[in-house]
Amino acid sequence: MPELKLPELGENITQGTVTKILVKPGDAIKKGQNILELETDKAVLDVPSNADGVIGDILIKNGAVVKVGQPVFTLTGGTTTPSQATPTGGHVQKEQQNVSPSPLPSNPTTGGESTPGKSPSAKQTTPGGISEMTLPALGENVEKGTVTKILVKVGDTLKKGQNILEIETDKAVLEVPSASEGLIKEILIKAGTVVKIGQPIFKIEGGTAAATSTAPVSKPSSHSEAKAEESKDTSRSFVAKSAPQDDAAKSVSLPIRKDIPAAPSVRLLARELGIDIAQVPGTGKGGRISVDDVKAYCKMLNTSRPSSTVPGSVQVALPNFAKWGNVRREAMSNVRRKTAEHLSNAWTSIPHVTQFDKVDITELEKLRKSISGGNKKISVTPFIIKVVAAALKKFPQFNASVDMTTQEIVFKDYVNIGVAVDTDRGLLVPVLKNVDKMSILQISDELTALAERARLKKTTIEEMQGGCFTISNLGGIGGTCFTPIVNWPEVAILGVSRGSMEQTFTDGVFIPRLMLPLSLSYDHRLIDGADGARFIRWVCEAIQQPFLLDLNK
Amino acid sequence: MNSTQLIVIGAGPGGYAAAFLAADLGLEVTIVEKETNPGGVCLYRGCIPSKALLHAAKVISEAKHAKAFGIEYAAPKIDINKLRDWKKSVVSKMTGGLGQLSKVHKIKYIQGEATFVNSTTLKIKKTDGTTEELSFQKAVLATGSRPATIPNLPKSPDIWDSTGALELENIPENLLVVGGGYIGMELGTVYHELGSKVSVVEMTPGLLPGADRDLADVLYKYVKPRFANILLETKVVRMESHQNGIKVIFAGKDGKEFDENYNKVLVSIGRRPNSENLGLENTKVKVTPRGFVEVNDQRQTADPNIYAIGDIAGDPMLAHKASHEGRVAVEAIAGHKVAFEPQAIPAVVFTDPEIAWAGLTEIDAAKAGREVTVTKFPWAASGRAVTLDRIEGFTKLIVDPQTQRVLGVGLVGPGAGEMIAEGVLAIEMGAIAKDVALSIHPHPTLSETIMEAAEMFYGQSTHIYRPKK
Repeated sequence: MPELKLPELGENITQGTVTKILVKPGDAIKKGQNILELETDKAVLDVPSNADGVIGDILIKNGAVVKVGQPVFTLTGGTTTPSQATPTGGHVQKEQQNVSPSPLPSNPTTGGESTPGKSPSAKQTTPGGISEMTLPALGENVEKGTVTKILVKVGDTLKKGQNILEIETDKAVLEVPSASEGLIKEILIKAGTVVKIGQPIFKIEGGTAAATSTAPVSKPSSHSEAKAEESKDTSRSFVAKSAPQDDAAKSVSLPIRKDIPAAPSVRLLARELGIDIAQVPGTGKGGRISVDDVKAYCKMLNTSRPSSTVPGSVQVALPNFAKWGNVRREAMSNVRRKTAEHLSNAWTSIPHVTQFDKVDITELEKLRKSISGGNKKISVTPFIIKVVAAALKKFPQFNASVDMTTQEIVFKDYVNIGVAVDTDRGLLVPVLKNVDKMSILQISDELTALAERARLKKTTIEEMQGGCFTISNLGGIGGTCFTPIVNWPEVAILGVSRGSMEQTFTDGVFIPRLMLPLSLSYDHRLIDGADGARFIRWVCEAIQQPFLLDLNK
Repeated sequence: MNSTQLIVIGAGPGGYAAAFLAADLGLEVTIVEKETNPGGVCLYRGCIPSKALLHAAKVISEAKHAKAFGIEYAAPKIDINKLRDWKKSVVSKMTGGLGQLSKVHKIKYIQGEATFVNSTTLKIKKTDGTTEELSFQKAVLATGSRPATIPNLPKSPDIWDSTGALELENIPENLLVVGGGYIGMELGTVYHELGSKVSVVEMTPGLLPGADRDLADVLYKYVKPRFANILLETKVVRMESHQNGIKVIFAGKDGKEFDENYNKVLVSIGRRPNSENLGLENTKVKVTPRGFVEVNDQRQTADPNIYAIGDIAGDPMLAHKASHEGRVAVEAIAGHKVAFEPQAIPAVVFTDPEIAWAGLTEIDAAKAGREVTVTKFPWAASGRAVTLDRIEGFTKLIVDPQTQRVLGVGLVGPGAGEMIAEGVLAIEMGAIAKDVALSIHPHPTLSETIMEAAEMFYGQSTHIYRPKK
């Protein structure tokens, strides 16, 4: 009986939690009809069917974590189209880009014991000592590959650097080295399956694997995040796909080096893998670089990559907490996992500086109260957003991103501001687009609606992307100051704390004024301390003297 | 307003290669082109008609040459109308075929001229007199080039540009070719073999400026006694039109003026990119003072929606460079990680003898101060050249003395144009001289000279004796 598998949902979405099943056994479904509601770390998505047929069994439950390619229903009287879904064997239908069909072993599993014994929808629990090893990054532009060979089996003790898999990407067949040590307890993949970077591949015991699950994902996931606006339907997206190139056409490819002793095909492979061909040592006559040289260099980069995102840091195994009392382990939610990855990456890759200041909002409060009334309540955030939008135009280096690979700064001509929203799922940052063109009242309405949608899990992926700057307002809870972490790839974030009445010494007398503490964290690679201070001062003065906004235009 | 995913403006060898690949990649493609079929200058007024005529010239020349080994033909009877018709049939066969290919690729073909209204809209003046606005997502600009002209020339039907010369209106008794570059030398060769007394005037001290001197010298030595005159380091001061043709006033190296009368004058002093009247000022596209459109490695212009390829995107203005750029641009548009990064763009001059080169030239190496080893194999030592009774040519390799890599190849002699492809492959593949020397080349062919030139790098070659130092 054919199975309907969870199709690809977007560039870097590997799994999601089932929030609603929209069909029942016996239902006749059509291609394109929504069958599931799935919550990913980005948004709640409707999942359309990629086949016609009648639903037989439902293989998943509400609340189950489902991976892309995992069977979700059995179907009768219909054919599944495996196009984007992960096949379990047979042949892989490739994206229509360029590759020739890949030869795959006819026996899809190497060794019977490698098939996971449990139900495929088993939760991602990690009972004591056992951790998951994920597929490490294979190259800058490689996001997934088909497993052609598994080079280890259950019971093997892994050594760091040992080859564990052979993966065929659309560029080449690559050997994947282990980034950690430990005993293989379970193999979560099969030959023939498509595996994404960061997807769990083994369960291992007594190892350092936990470290690897965060390490390699950081860079490629953020890389692909930038490209996530790419259309999901590759067949229609040729032109759309190239859209991200437009912003910085030069950053797409590595600089051309003349006079490199490598065949055109080898140069192309290196460019596709994101490797600078000039760095690859050639082993051929006259220093000629072969395909194998490029692969060996790629592998070397992967094994030499530190197993943690922090250079030089040692990942220490957790103690056995149960020694001191009862403990409980719970799988991280998608949002939590993503937050952990994203913020570790931002914290380790961005040299942070935080600048504090206070702004007198006594007058602003009067204004705010005068226009809020009845059920219309305007918070201080829309005012701050409006001022920050103007500040981003005044200080363009705050509306920028750092591209270290091309040694370029990407300046943005649009002003989109993300606002941190506290939800029961965790921290979400929906983005208000083109705020510079909106009035404060429009910002207020839009912000209220967007925050509400975020809490109800209704935000779309688009609404979560494209931010230039983030504002985090914790004033509603309290606190004096805090040091927010820059929301990479942005370069600055403004933290807002709770305002309080303070005595200010003006014209020889103490006057009580309502002072609001602000905390500006910024990326010191791009922004100098003096500019940071100027920016926050400008913001404070513009809030105190809003006419400055127009004067400075 | 109609819209298209990809618009290709100009369907020469760059434009049509881009359009066909784009269609194969699943894009919806529209071509705007002046002519009824794709082909461009290359097929209508350049490579193809000139090669048809050069083939005829070669037959005449070889028949004449056969006298040397005892086969004598009477002087040829040339039916110029039939020759012209044959040339036309070659052109229409090729362009008609491209028209068919365009149809089967389901490309929308609009005959007319396009100007940019902005970065996403074109205004097309169609050949049928109507005007249409068309919006596009991406554009590939491939409008090519046209012959450069000398200012203040008299208006006269006796002054041709390359297009005029290819019309083959008659066979003039006297023909002056202004400019000793590849176009002038090729067309000069055609008219020389058809019976004209051909003179060439060139401003610089040698023919084919840009080619290595040793290659150009062989051509000079071969044509000097055959052509009527070759005037080097000579300028054309002015021309005067009169009843029987054109009086040309020259100034020699010493500045002294002299004049000569010709029935026809062919002006072939180079080509200019067609970057005017396209409305590029309405886009973000940047144009250099020489009229070339600035592009990056993906052939993308300063306007992210617009790519430019071929002659308009810079030197060398060669069809095969344009087609390659066309493919790069379209793959870049389709999101592939491509770049225009040739290590060698071959150049071929279809004169008799032919000249071809690829990769690093000795001129480039000297300019860059790069140390190279040059090995030269004279065709006098090639069995095949001797059987053709053409031993004036040679094959040279420009090799890096440290890495032994083949950096450049130069050839002069009959068939050089076909042989240069091996040189391109060796350079692109990063071959070292040993790779070429160890590859068995067929005997007896002229290609063996490439292998033997590679052997010479290591101090020994079968057919050349070099005493040990």
